[in-house]
Amino acid sequence: MHDACGHTGGCAICADDAIAMRVVETAPPLQGARCVTADGTAALVLLDLVDAEVGDQVLVHGGVAIARAAR
Amino acid sequence: MRFAAEYRDGTIGRAIARRLADVVDPDRLYKLMEICGGHTHTIYKYGIGSLLPANVELVHGPGCPVCVIPMGRVADAIAIARQPGVILTCFGDLLRVPGSDGTLLDARAAGADVRIAYSPLDALRIARENPRAEVVFFAIGFETTAPSTALTLLRARAEATSNFSCFCNHVTIGPPLRALLDSPDVFLDGFVGPGHVATVVGSAPFEFIPAEHGKGVVIAGFEPIDVLQAVLMLLEQLRSGRCEVEIQYVRAVTAAGNQRALEVMDTVFALRPQFEWRGLGFIPDSALRLADEFAEFDAELRFGVPGVRIEDPKACQCGEVLRGSIKPWECKVFGTACTPERPIGTCMVAAEGACAAYFNYGRLAAGARAPEAVG
Repeated sequence: MHDACGHTGGCAICADDAIAMRVVETAPPLQGARCVTADGTAALVLLDLVDAEVGDQVLVHGGVAIARAAR
Repeated sequence: MRFAAEYRDGTIGRAIARRLADVVDPDRLYKLMEICGGHTHTIYKYGIGSLLPANVELVHGPGCPVCVIPMGRVADAIAIARQPGVILTCFGDLLRVPGSDGTLLDARAAGADVRIAYSPLDALRIARENPRAEVVFFAIGFETTAPSTALTLLRARAEATSNFSCFCNHVTIGPPLRALLDSPDVFLDGFVGPGHVATVVGSAPFEFIPAEHGKGVVIAGFEPIDVLQAVLMLLEQLRSGRCEVEIQYVRAVTAAGNQRALEVMDTVFALRPQFEWRGLGFIPDSALRLADEFAEFDAELRFGVPGVRIEDPKACQCGEVLRGSIKPWECKVFGTACTPERPIGTCMVAAEGACAAYFNYGRLAAGARAPEAVG
């Protein structure tokens, strides 16, 4: 586990890693939408760069979803 | 969560390993580079090396953003942090990267207000909460991270947050690979391409590798099965005489990349004509600055920075590690003078760094290292 961010697969905030999260709710542009990781950790994520709906899985880096996983 | 457990399945991993043994030519050596530090981490954490045929070697590339940042830029960040009224925010690993005059952690101990931000948006929140302070975000990272910084700056402009600025050190993946392939002491048979960068840029920035250098690229995900499958795909390219860019990480990467992310990056950033990379020197068109339209948020313009070039410590061989010329344990100071607790080089600082990854996981693998090299 990385001491700064608690992420277990490398470091999600320090390098070019991304975390898989599930979209729980959507939000207006430049406003965070609630997403959760596999272990239930919730975070507000900008979905501006992807077409994501509730239930979709997205890759999140730096608080922004950069890709939506294949449905 | 989908796409995790099935990509860590040992049965599948061993099946791919058997297939690898069938594909390789036992009379030749194969040297493949994993570009991204995330892959390096996966390879060591899951012991991928032990599943590869003995004549297949994985070497580490320049894809860890903390590792490639030169000491001079760290010194610049420290200079900003020491200015009165400044809150400097950065990702956690940057705190421990040595500059010429200590680290950001040292600067904080001496009184500078240096804080960990979990994202650029977190730094912007700190700016909103501290309207009397100048909040600077020390931005690093490849095209994976740059869209997040870009969106943050768009939001800062929309909110008219005037006490927020960005010390921009974002870099791009294509030019350092070109520099690497042009260097005379690097001999590689193919590349495991960086999956998360490719979610943004797509496969186009890697097409010059087969076209101009005759080497294959397989863009891979970050689970152990992803990496093993990418190695298999590269070896199959070599066996069949092909060299092309293939995408293993199809569940997240498309050839076109994320057009929306590329557009916001185009809006907010412009290419720097030159940028220094640790171990690779100055590389043209390899980094981003804020575009003129966002100059009001540019910390380099707002504060001025020393901008001096600082040589790496003589003992540190991060440059050779980042070019894949040596393995981490072949560095003179690996595991002795340089450890994760007291790093000399950036490759030992970052969690994604090859030296830190090997120190944390790989050194436990018997026979995979020179015994005297590890403390």
